[in-house]
Amino acid sequence: MSIPVSIVDFDRFLFAFTIASHILLVSMSIGLALMICFVEFLFARTKDRYYAALARRFVRPFVVSFGIGTASGIVMAVELVNLFPTFMTLVSKTGVISIFYVEIFAFFLETIFLVVYVYYASSFRGRYTRFLLSLPIVVGTLLSAVLIVMVNAWMNTPNGFDISTYIASNYTTVTGVQPWAPFLTTSTGYEVFHVLATVPLTGLMLIGGFLGYKYSKSKKPEEKTLFLKGFQVSVAASLAFVVLSIVSGILQIENLYLFQPLKFAAIELNMNPGTNQPEILFGWLNGTTVVDAIQIPGLQSVLAGGASLPGLSQYPQSDWPPLIIHDFFDTMVILGVLLGLFLLGFAGLWVIQRKPYDHRFFVYLFLVFTGITALVMELGWVVDELGRQPWVVYNVLPTSVAANTNTDLFYPGLVIIAAYIFLVPFTFWFMARVFRKRSLEEDLAGSGEGADVNY
Amino acid sequence: MSTINLIFEINFAIFSVFFVLFLTELMGGLLLLIAYDATKAKVLPYIVPIWEVTGTFAAFWVVTSDFAYPNLILPVALSFAGLIVVFLIFFVFRNASITFAELITKRRWVDERRLYQAYGLATLLIAVVVVVVLSTIVSGAGFTLSATPTFSLWGWVTSAGSLPYLIGIVFVALGLAPVFYDIAPLRRLSPIFTVVGVAIEAGALYLYSSSFLSVWFVIPALLTILASLLYQLPATAKIVSHKLVFALIGTVIVFSLSYLVYPTAFNGALPVDAVTTTGALVGAYYVLSVIGVVVVTLLMALYLFAVQHASAVRSAPAPAAASKP
Repeated sequence: MSIPVSIVDFDRFLFAFTIASHILLVSMSIGLALMICFVEFLFARTKDRYYAALARRFVRPFVVSFGIGTASGIVMAVELVNLFPTFMTLVSKTGVISIFYVEIFAFFLETIFLVVYVYYASSFRGRYTRFLLSLPIVVGTLLSAVLIVMVNAWMNTPNGFDISTYIASNYTTVTGVQPWAPFLTTSTGYEVFHVLATVPLTGLMLIGGFLGYKYSKSKKPEEKTLFLKGFQVSVAASLAFVVLSIVSGILQIENLYLFQPLKFAAIELNMNPGTNQPEILFGWLNGTTVVDAIQIPGLQSVLAGGASLPGLSQYPQSDWPPLIIHDFFDTMVILGVLLGLFLLGFAGLWVIQRKPYDHRFFVYLFLVFTGITALVMELGWVVDELGRQPWVVYNVLPTSVAANTNTDLFYPGLVIIAAYIFLVPFTFWFMARVFRKRSLEEDLAGSGEGADVNY
Repeated sequence: MSTINLIFEINFAIFSVFFVLFLTELMGGLLLLIAYDATKAKVLPYIVPIWEVTGTFAAFWVVTSDFAYPNLILPVALSFAGLIVVFLIFFVFRNASITFAELITKRRWVDERRLYQAYGLATLLIAVVVVVVLSTIVSGAGFTLSATPTFSLWGWVTSAGSLPYLIGIVFVALGLAPVFYDIAPLRRLSPIFTVVGVAIEAGALYLYSSSFLSVWFVIPALLTILASLLYQLPATAKIVSHKLVFALIGTVIVFSLSYLVYPTAFNGALPVDAVTTTGALVGAYYVLSVIGVVVVTLLMALYLFAVQHASAVRSAPAPAAASKP
């Protein structure tokens, strides 16, 4: 079959597009699972029925995000086999497949407790029962994320098999397999910490932005109370996660410096190695010279504690990742810092009783930062994945070798992309709609099952 | 004497559970498509929670297959690439339609009925793709095993057994649907569809290869027909339509059909033992499988307990205080 693009590039784009969409849904699922758990706990502690009403309202969008997220998760799992079969063959011949196996158990934990919590929890008594049933959903959801990040960490810093034999055999022979080693590579801890901080932050910010907006638009006192209580929980949780994101982000840079020096050099746009590196903001490389950049002399080395920092010139140019990741990285860091400062200021105003939620300017600014949080998360993922190119497994397996060259998947792949373009925005719109499926009076009275499904 | 390939057996057992769960969804989906109003009260309370579990079992099977047969990933991806992406499109369609059906509020040009029926259609389309792949793995129809293996959908269609194989499964699903969902008005149709479906399936297998029709086919075929016959008797109808009993027996029946793909798949072309994982990963596969069976069994037990408990609470009489005038 003749197609108008390189099939390898199409494989890469299709997977990138799918995962970019998927992580938005996942961040919502994690954010909603956390919010349900928080408000169930608060309800059990305080008996404040607004928290119970919030739990009822969060469950409906959670069912939606879980249903669509499951579909896109399975799409991704199957796409990995279909689009990058040589990569998945390597995965299946090493201990990395064990991570995928354990991932299924986390998925089961999440699924079964979700079903029990959503459809049957109202039949159980006990003050903390609903909270306790919601807790494994959070554990399962976060565990799923942790395990997938473990796979990503292995792709960045592979271990657990004889790499030189594999390369020498032209990517066919896998020997010296250590089945459990991939669970803990040199970068696993760093990556897991960073993702556990940033992905929930995105979900919590999206929920917070929605609740703040609904609060500012609402006229009924009872509805305002409901939205404000939810907004308060999401802002408090977001603040905690933004602090964790900053700390884990700094550690993540250390991870790159120690274990992926080429990626570090690319994101910092360091042409040459040295101990007196400037901090280079934006700009690009013209030959071997950095141009159109803001340079702060020595700052990068000061931040690195005077260590000798790597440079691109130490590596063959054919191994360099696309240097656009430098601009993506700078944008991500600047927006991330602004987000942290904004959240700190917003929460500070709240604490000193200045009621920022009553000022439309602040609420709309919060909405803007909601979008920025999602953008920062997506940029972080792009920097990580593009930064590893041209490798799918760093310094081991080139992406071009791993990809499927069967052109049969091109047109069905276009349908997948079209479906996602429609499905993801519609899903977010639908989640917002079902949040208010029942009247506030009904939700406060606690009638009906958790999700109140149609049948 | 051949030895047992435990890696294959574990993987096929997981497949059997997945396939039975999927078959129950297919039966429900067909009923929603054919007689929505008459069957929704029996079908939806089962489908609505379980579809999420089926998806999880599908992922479970895919991952254990990757684990068990690493050398098959490349040939499968090279030959079935287009079909797999089509499967994904239908899978997204299935999940989206049932998720939106569960919670839709405005009821204008699209309502829960249409969405649930869209789910039924999506499930049927997924079944078609799944059956195409499975029948190819059994028969090798449309498949050419070489250094760069290929699959031709036209080759599959023109293979004598293929379309009967697909039609037979749909008939069996239609025949067993009244049993599983206890749809009394369709009671009389159940054995007719089941017997015709099993007969078509037997014919399809014979057309693929006469060696497929052995005693190993007769036993599951008779058990399948027996289920629809026992449903005719009031004394046994409750037993065969009990969902857990049905699912357990169904899993055993599907598992007993493993002879179709073991010791060789693709109609004798691929010795399974030759492509099963070896070395240090075998131990990890066993350890994780044992842990997995324990975890999944406990979770499914919790799920069944929650279903029973909720059912008991709902059917319990209201407290005396609530009935005061």
